[in-house]
Amino acid sequence: MAELYRKMQLARAYVPFQQYTRRFEPFDGLMRGTIFPELFMPYRPKEMIGRSEG
Amino acid sequence: MRRDRRELLLRIMALDFTALELNLYLDTHPRDARALEDYNKVTQELFTLRQEYQERYGPLIHFGHGFSKYPWQWIEEPWPWEMTF
Repeated sequence: MAELYRKMQLARAYVPFQQYTRRFEPFDGLMRGTIFPELFMPYRPKEMIGRSEG
Repeated sequence: MRRDRRELLLRIMALDFTALELNLYLDTHPRDARALEDYNKVTQELFTLRQEYQERYGPLIHFGHGFSKYPWQWIEEPWPWEMTF
């Protein structure tokens, strides 16, 4: 990955090609907003990193 | 809305969404045979369920996309904003 990273130029967007393998059941897909497991990335609340309290 | 009608509608909505997603994927992957096969399978089931729904409850989509029994059923449908899912 590091080697790949070295070749990546700054300010370039990379969209790796999606490969269809499997999909969520229809109703699960509707609830999750995608039928593709590889695109399901819900924002989960996490503790703030690197912010001092108060 | 009765349970069986609601369940049929939810199934149609879920399949609609799946067909839409597969369609978007196929736009950029037209040679993906499995995705295309899935798309046609989902579309087939969707077609069948829509017909079943419209036969029992009236048109799902209007303006020439569905038939209506007498009297005109379109105005009798519960409007989407009157329903909670």
